[in-house]
Amino acid sequence: MFTEELKAFRRLGFRHVLLQTLNFASVIASGLMIWKGLGLITNSESPIVVVLSGSMEPAFYRGDLLFLTNPAHERYHNGDITVYKIPGADIPIVHRVLETHDVKSKGSLSAQNQRLLTKGDNNEVNDIELYRGLEHLERKHIVGKVRGFLPYIGYVTIAMNDFPQLKYALLGGLGLLALIQRE
Amino acid sequence: MHTVFSRVNNISALLSSCVMGLLAAIAVSSMALQLFEAPLEGGSVVVNNVKVTHGKGRQYKYEHARVDFEIDADLSPLFNWNTKQLFLYLDAEYTNAKGVKNAVVIWDRIVRRKADAKIHVAGNRVQKYQFKDKHTFRDAEAVYTLRYNLMPHVGALVYGVAAATNASVPFPALNAANAKV
Repeated sequence: MFTEELKAFRRLGFRHVLLQTLNFASVIASGLMIWKGLGLITNSESPIVVVLSGSMEPAFYRGDLLFLTNPAHERYHNGDITVYKIPGADIPIVHRVLETHDVKSKGSLSAQNQRLLTKGDNNEVNDIELYRGLEHLERKHIVGKVRGFLPYIGYVTIAMNDFPQLKYALLGGLGLLALIQRE
Repeated sequence: MHTVFSRVNNISALLSSCVMGLLAAIAVSSMALQLFEAPLEGGSVVVNNVKVTHGKGRQYKYEHARVDFEIDADLSPLFNWNTKQLFLYLDAEYTNAKGVKNAVVIWDRIVRRKADAKIHVAGNRVQKYQFKDKHTFRDAEAVYTLRYNLMPHVGALVYGVAAATNASVPFPALNAANAKV
């Protein structure tokens, strides 16, 4: 099966292989640029996230895709759904704001002085236990505010995390296709 | 040219762009509908009584407020083809003596069906979350607002106000209101 492919590969020559590699690299680079560009526009370190837990059910299920923004001058309000990351914890958490406390301050960045308390819609209690000793969430812990929602699409990444073989098979297959494809 | 691979490729590309187009149409049409929708009317939030007591947390002393409120609202106009659920919450906003602007959710409910969209909640036992201040509620007054967050099947999240108290409600002195002897 592969002998024919290899023959085709040899027939194409060295320059073609180089060209395909270059194409492949440019695809990866533009993907990275789009991701980082989105991050700049939305002021969020990861403007698109996949829901990993069921703590916001029935609003968000595992595998739903969320679009975030995090404008530096905008305050957060109760009812906003935030994604936050506590230092030391490895996964970001998607929960709803239930308390905001704005300390009086001068300057244009007063929105940065907010202290927040969050809770998952599907949890019985608020998140204080998740804050690792902090009493409130501070603005610097917050990755973004959920603006939009697309169901199920992110399940691909969850599947790839749960079954790593799938990830390698997919990557390997894509790489092979990119190198072999003639058109 | 017409290999199995290219056919599969074409069909899946067409399918996914059709699905994406359909989802975009659903999201945009429901957002456009929201623009033309009349604002919600007929809702009311009434606070009958507030009671402030001492409380003790793990590290600090707190003041706890117990609010006896009454909510009436009909949110059924918010249900359309792209409404997955409504998240309703009663927001208490006040500025305390230290100048800290606070907003605390004291009650919430998830509404998933149009049949459940007529809300009536009343009494002094319906408050769901603790309402506490690390300093004091003294001399402060709060505005209670019933807000909603419309969560779509696909698209943008929408926020709005369903009802609010007509005037701000002052907090009573510690242990004063409705003190039972």
